[in-house]
Amino acid sequence: MKKQTFKFIGLIAFSVIMFSFTFDSVQFEQPVLITSAGQSADVKLVKLLASRQKLDAETILMARPADLGNIKTLIIVPGFSSKGLGAAGISQKDEMKRVEALVKAANESGIPIVMMHIGGKARRGGQSDGFCRLIAENSKTMIVVEQGNEDEFFTKISEDKEIPMVSVEKISQAAEPLGKLFK
Amino acid sequence: MIKKHHISAFIIVVFTVLIAIIASAEFRKQKIPEALYPSKGLSSKGMLSDYFAGIKDTNGDTEVYFFDSGKPGATVFLAGGTHPNEPAGYMASVVILENLIPEKGRVIIIPRLNNSGFTCTDPMEAYPHGFTIETGTTSRRFRFGSRGANPLDQWPDPLVYVHKPSGQQYSGLESRNLNRSYPGDPDGTFTEKVAFAIIQLLKEENVDIAYDLHEAAPEIPIINAIVYHEKAEDITMYSILELEMEGLQYAPELSPKNFHGLSHREWGDYTQAYAFLMETSSPVQGRLRGKTNEELVLKGLSKNYKTAKETEALRIVYRDEGEPLEHRVGRHMSGFLAIIDSYNELNPEKQVKVSGLPDHSDLVENGIGKYLNNK
Repeated sequence: MKKQTFKFIGLIAFSVIMFSFTFDSVQFEQPVLITSAGQSADVKLVKLLASRQKLDAETILMARPADLGNIKTLIIVPGFSSKGLGAAGISQKDEMKRVEALVKAANESGIPIVMMHIGGKARRGGQSDGFCRLIAENSKTMIVVEQGNEDEFFTKISEDKEIPMVSVEKISQAAEPLGKLFK
Repeated sequence: MIKKHHISAFIIVVFTVLIAIIASAEFRKQKIPEALYPSKGLSSKGMLSDYFAGIKDTNGDTEVYFFDSGKPGATVFLAGGTHPNEPAGYMASVVILENLIPEKGRVIIIPRLNNSGFTCTDPMEAYPHGFTIETGTTSRRFRFGSRGANPLDQWPDPLVYVHKPSGQQYSGLESRNLNRSYPGDPDGTFTEKVAFAIIQLLKEENVDIAYDLHEAAPEIPIINAIVYHEKAEDITMYSILELEMEGLQYAPELSPKNFHGLSHREWGDYTQAYAFLMETSSPVQGRLRGKTNEELVLKGLSKNYKTAKETEALRIVYRDEGEPLEHRVGRHMSGFLAIIDSYNELNPEKQVKVSGLPDHSDLVENGIGKYLNNK
């Protein structure tokens, strides 16, 4: 009986510790830096959603480690766009190098990454998935528009890496969970 | 014996001449544009050569339709038929032309922007010469043309086309592509002169919002998209959220600053207009399309694209039920309306308002024919 009581108390204590850990791990603070991974213009939609949620957020399409400065949360919007890369004047390879360096710097500085994939099927597969996987696996939470997760690409990463994920049907519905992260 | 040969020769000559006459008549028919029937909102009609006399009496000249509400407001410019082998762009402009009632500000429409391109089809593509849309009481026939200007209007193509003034190089074929020729050149090629005239129109009419309607192959990355000039970023983002509420997904695509000659770049750079280019997904444009006929234009059904999508070897945007013309035209219609709404929200002091236009759901439910006039 005593053993069972100890086990029960131990389980409760473990749960409390894990809950605290989880709670801590999903605390996101401002100011926020929003950037792209793949240079799709979806990042501009996230900028609009963030402004509607009145977040203290700056958007830098080609953010680099030096831009992290006093940033408390990094939002990355993955999605490949040939026009976007053309506009930025860089290759896909260079963009991947930039994003890898940024993710590494954020991880080393303890800046949590929020992944927002809002571009649906248009920003999945082919050249987009490399960016999607990199950001999803390094994020602390994910907000995903359902159409981009029909093959459960993000769900699998969420389950394997135990990363919380919020799935919404429409881009406009992503604003609310985004705002809640900072409350 | 010799007499028999003379008779045979005579019959062959007569037969050949007859074939030649019929073929010539068919060929010349391609230069006769189908009639369009503007709505009662039409206030006046002009020609593109009114803005640059250098294209007068050429195949580059084309009708310009004005819908002026008589009330102050913004000016919208709508171009259909930049690429006459992309029928949803042309047909959306026709549906707008035949239904639009301006309520505030004005709308200027050129349905056949690349008029020369409507007079031929692209060689080796097996495109049909046109397609028929039933209107309920009758039917209307529309031309299916070529991507570039007719080679009879501009020939030969150079090995390399050098865009003016950027110096950017494209394949020689693109020298006849209107959407690689802006801002144009009054002393340049046939296509550059047409492009110059269009820029003059945008400037002289103080156009605020300018649309260029297109289609692209299901395997192309830029489909179901709004390509926008950086000036128009906020309008685009607002529009995409509005369209999403209608159940229509659009990808925003920023116009690259170093991709010259295109409407979404040069209209924005050389004029005051907010420039937008919209793309649908159309199997008839694609390399995998298979049999190319009128049915493919109208129904957008392609077994090859279905198979290609299922293999997942390529990123293919194709719906199993096909990409019918009414769906593609409907996307342009809803995109047109959403951009106007967003512009108005962001520019309350200078709005443009229109009525009478069907949106995507109307077109899908009722078909295009319902929104075409019979006279």
